[in-house]
Amino acid sequence: MTNELRVALAGNANVGKSVIFNQLTGLNQVTGNWPGKTVEKAEGKLHYSGYEIRVVDLPGIYSLSAFSIEEVVSRDYLAVEKPDVVVNVIDASALERNLYLTLQLLELELPLVVALNQVDFAAKKGIRVDVARLSAALGVPVVPTVATSGTGIDDLLTRVVAKATSKEKSTPVKIRYGKEIETVIAKVAQTVSSLLPQLCAVYPARWVAIKLLEKDRDIIGRVSAHVNGPAVLNRVETLVNKLEKVHGEESPVIFASERYSLASKIAREVIRIETPPRISLEETLASITTHKVLGYLILAGVLAATFTVIFAGGNMLSTILESAFSFVSETVEAALSSILSPFLSELIVKGVVGGVIAGVTIALPYIVPFYVILALLEDSGYLPRAAFLMDNVMHKMGLHGKAFIPLILGYGCSVPACIGCRIMETERERLTAAFVVMLIPCAARTVVILGLVGRYVGLQAALALYGFDLLLVFAFGRLAFKVLPGEPSGLIMEMPPYKKPTFKSVLFKTWSRTKDFIYFAFPIIIVGSFVVEALALSGVISVTVQFLSPLMTGWLGLPAVTAVPLIFGFLRKELALILLSEALSTVSMSIQSLTSIQMVVFTLVVMLYIPCLATVATCWREFGWKKTLYIALATVGLAFLLGGLAFRLLSLFNALSLIAVA
Amino acid sequence: MQWRLRRPIPAAFVHAPRETAQPSIADLEEGEKAVVLSALGGAGVKRRLAEMGLTPGTELKVRRKCAFHGPVEIEVRGVCLGLGYGLARKIFVQPLKEKTDD
Repeated sequence: MTNELRVALAGNANVGKSVIFNQLTGLNQVTGNWPGKTVEKAEGKLHYSGYEIRVVDLPGIYSLSAFSIEEVVSRDYLAVEKPDVVVNVIDASALERNLYLTLQLLELELPLVVALNQVDFAAKKGIRVDVARLSAALGVPVVPTVATSGTGIDDLLTRVVAKATSKEKSTPVKIRYGKEIETVIAKVAQTVSSLLPQLCAVYPARWVAIKLLEKDRDIIGRVSAHVNGPAVLNRVETLVNKLEKVHGEESPVIFASERYSLASKIAREVIRIETPPRISLEETLASITTHKVLGYLILAGVLAATFTVIFAGGNMLSTILESAFSFVSETVEAALSSILSPFLSELIVKGVVGGVIAGVTIALPYIVPFYVILALLEDSGYLPRAAFLMDNVMHKMGLHGKAFIPLILGYGCSVPACIGCRIMETERERLTAAFVVMLIPCAARTVVILGLVGRYVGLQAALALYGFDLLLVFAFGRLAFKVLPGEPSGLIMEMPPYKKPTFKSVLFKTWSRTKDFIYFAFPIIIVGSFVVEALALSGVISVTVQFLSPLMTGWLGLPAVTAVPLIFGFLRKELALILLSEALSTVSMSIQSLTSIQMVVFTLVVMLYIPCLATVATCWREFGWKKTLYIALATVGLAFLLGGLAFRLLSLFNALSLIAVA
Repeated sequence: MQWRLRRPIPAAFVHAPRETAQPSIADLEEGEKAVVLSALGGAGVKRRLAEMGLTPGTELKVRRKCAFHGPVEIEVRGVCLGLGYGLARKIFVQPLKEKTDD
């Protein structure tokens, strides 16, 4: 029989929880150097000295105050699921701030083991933490770790098992507030434990009392749902008012101040500053990348370099791969046509083989370079700096700087970007951010923009499309800001120190994202190509095409068959390009027979119309079907409206320039 | 082992004049240090600031200020924080008269 243990990893954002999680479980949870990366809990298993240990990596939080979704997720997990051991990962180089959460975890009376992480980095900054003293001060085991190299992980596991089996005999400290606050807490705790026994079965009575006094909305909601709730809340309200009057501050601030002063006291006692910190390369970088002039120049440079690498690298790779694969396709076709009937062989060659080759030669070349750059940006810690610099611009859209992070992620894939909008504080901001994120051309759309317009019309046209898209993002962000009710909130964001990205991590991240892309997209690309080929051969397509031809030809000025790639583009956006040539070939046309204007219009529509299936599903989960439907309809309407206008304007412009030339 | 604390907020800080010319974080220069007195705003904003360590009585240092009323980067409790201009203006401080070299 194996004994099962449940262990949760909790800690501030960006302290290396995910790295420890990967070290423990051997799993590959994606890591990164920006706060808010892990938005959902991840689970993994490992075996250690006869135990099967289930590890849960919780999202990074600064507090247990139910202020953000992450905090509620983490708190509910810790209080309700009651894991056997909670490993609190803290950053040795920012002890004071990290201890603030530790104290709250102790308050929730959780079985705690502290992993004092990044001790190497702290040492580099001249900070030495006295582990024994810290352990004594907190009354819980403390294990120094360097997660990135795996140092201390074994020791951590030993302590975790010891804690779970109660071999570890330590009594956590009781956190005591000022005398008058303690009196109030005791009063409320007594009321709570006598009037709300059910709630106290889940949470400690003292903790509920503190949360009620802190005006914690989540707990107040739970209490008020109870029969005795109103009576308790009335009593609490009187006490809170009295407390606030005495201290002249809001009650949450009173409690935060108290906890912080305790955290600061402990930190001062256990920290020794050894060498006077000299200015390191990372420090200098941190200093110039947020400089009021240089910072923006660097940001512009980084974005320009990113684009250049993706475009130039993508084009080069695409051309090389295409010539390599045309040979494969011909060989397969020759081999198949000798065994199968012409109908089946065409179906397989054009559908399946064509789909795979298109995926490899058209989609991958643009996507892989982007993933490499994204990994570098994430690991280095540059993203929060970019977000900082963009704060003012984002405020014009009623958002703040943090929204720039999902926006950048959106150039990779809308799905993680949409989930990443959770780093925004209010529902209104999350929704606005998600809406603009969906207008950002993801890697799949970049494939269409660069692979069609960039390649056949010219780089300037592709750039113009990106520029136009940014204008739209800005305009719609502003519109959403004006339309949606609510006050914009300000930026408060941690700016983590720069870290040198490791080759291994960048390689791993690129690979895991590419793998996800291949596993997820390729089946859809293949099935999509196959279905289109089958539909074309059976004649169903011509009916649909005819039905949609007023819209496609009449309004957008495109060949009617382009309706097909647009329909299937809903599955995966790069399918739109892959299927475009196939659809055109059914009416004996090729991509090159499209005019420049047609290419631009087609790409514009693909760029803007309904986000792909996966994004819609994610959006549904995050915001509910109603808002998803609105967003979907809005984007489709916008795409076709602008597509038609672009067709007319570009044609007019073309005609005028011809006249001018003549 | 027990920790027992005295109230950390001196009364003079709590009753700092609000509408008067008390400087805010946005008024500080790069490299300047100050002590947090109080913050203006709703309970939500105050709580957020407090939880990120900006409680009354805390010492902070301005690292960077962006142009055109842009965000401010501060260092507080050993951590760098980016603060929007709007928020920075709502946090009142007492400047400390010793500038650092960097």
